[in-house]
Amino acid sequence: MEAESVIKLRDITFRYGEKLVMDRFSLEIPARGLTALSGPSGCGKTTLLRMLAGLAEPESGTLTGVDPARTALLFQEDRLLPWRTAREQIADVLPRSRRGEVERWLAFAELTGEGEAYPAGLSGGMARRLALARCAALGGELLLLDEPFAGVDRTRAQRLLDRLRGLEVPIILATHQPQVLAACDRAIGLDGPPLERV
Amino acid sequence: MKRPLKILIPLAFWLLVWTLASWAVGRDLLLPGPVRVGERFLALAGTADLWLSVGATLGRVFLGLFWGALAGTALAFATHFSPWADRLISPAVRVVRATPVVSFILLVYLWVPREAIPWVIAGLMVLPVVWGALSAGLGNLDGKLLEMARAYRFSRIKTLRLIYLPALRPHFSAGLLTAFGLAWKSGVAAEVICPPVRAVGSRIQQARLGLETPDLFAWTLTIVVLSLTLEGLLRRGLEWRRKV
Repeated sequence: MEAESVIKLRDITFRYGEKLVMDRFSLEIPARGLTALSGPSGCGKTTLLRMLAGLAEPESGTLTGVDPARTALLFQEDRLLPWRTAREQIADVLPRSRRGEVERWLAFAELTGEGEAYPAGLSGGMARRLALARCAALGGELLLLDEPFAGVDRTRAQRLLDRLRGLEVPIILATHQPQVLAACDRAIGLDGPPLERV
Repeated sequence: MKRPLKILIPLAFWLLVWTLASWAVGRDLLLPGPVRVGERFLALAGTADLWLSVGATLGRVFLGLFWGALAGTALAFATHFSPWADRLISPAVRVVRATPVVSFILLVYLWVPREAIPWVIAGLMVLPVVWGALSAGLGNLDGKLLEMARAYRFSRIKTLRLIYLPALRPHFSAGLLTAFGLAWKSGVAAEVICPPVRAVGSRIQQARLGLETPDLFAWTLTIVVLSLTLEGLLRRGLEWRRKV
């Protein structure tokens, strides 16, 4: 993705069933560095990330500057496979030619000694870090992270954020954590539902 | 209480009840005692006929189990993914499940050779059980994991291997274990009603016609021992080895 590119949402309307989540919502997000989305729970941050990942189709409006097939979304829940070890979870998203990177991604999430652990044997914070490492390993032109540091202690979250920045991939993340917001290059405050404008 | 005692005490109790009942009846023709049945069982175990009959019955039961499980699995996937297949096939499978096995035995007798009846019947009893277990498993699949697979660009084969198969395995195992017991009972029942040349069911029928009640008990004992042993082996083989 070019350094100057911008993700543009124009007059997007979106509903979950009867609930109006976006009402002719427009927004521009620079596709570079770390961008934080903040706002109260249920305001539409998750919906926005899912839309950028191609998992939520707007009722009307246009979305440009992002190819959903080249994004990697960290879901709000860990969504780890209960029957796969930490090492396997990462290997599962890597193409055969990149399987040698598994240990690197475990180290990225500070889970080097937990390669053979199953999700049920990990703490909430460890599982979150594993899910984050899996998403980062999948990679792409844009990382979309929904509450990436939920259950992760502050100092470790800061280290992870530094490592994410080191990937040199544009990142949009939704967070409630003030220290994460402060560490990002820009923050976009959202207020909804419905999201109308910023 | 130690494990051997937990098994031996009830066994001894029921053998005692059986012995007392046999004494009270006083006629081997109606109710032979455990000692007499044990003698006949050991005598039969020394003949090639028992082992050949057991082998033939086992072959039919496992053939029925195999085709029933295969068809049940295929139909479960078809009815889960295709609304039309669901509309057409699900009611038919429910009818098969609700139909008494004897009705099927007598109907199938008209359509297939006698040697094939037991495995056809065993499979017909297995199919709805496996279909039901897998349909329930498919219905309970975690949609969020499937969405993750889509978002993370898993191929269909990979999604099948990493999500469907592990998630369905406990359902399949439970269904197959239940189906195994049914395959035995229905397969042997079919052998009794439509006796093939060599089969445990045929020997049970011969013993009944010859009023050889101790033999009838001994053949039945053979089936019970085989069924319990094989079910135990199957249970171990299918054991869910998830380490969590």
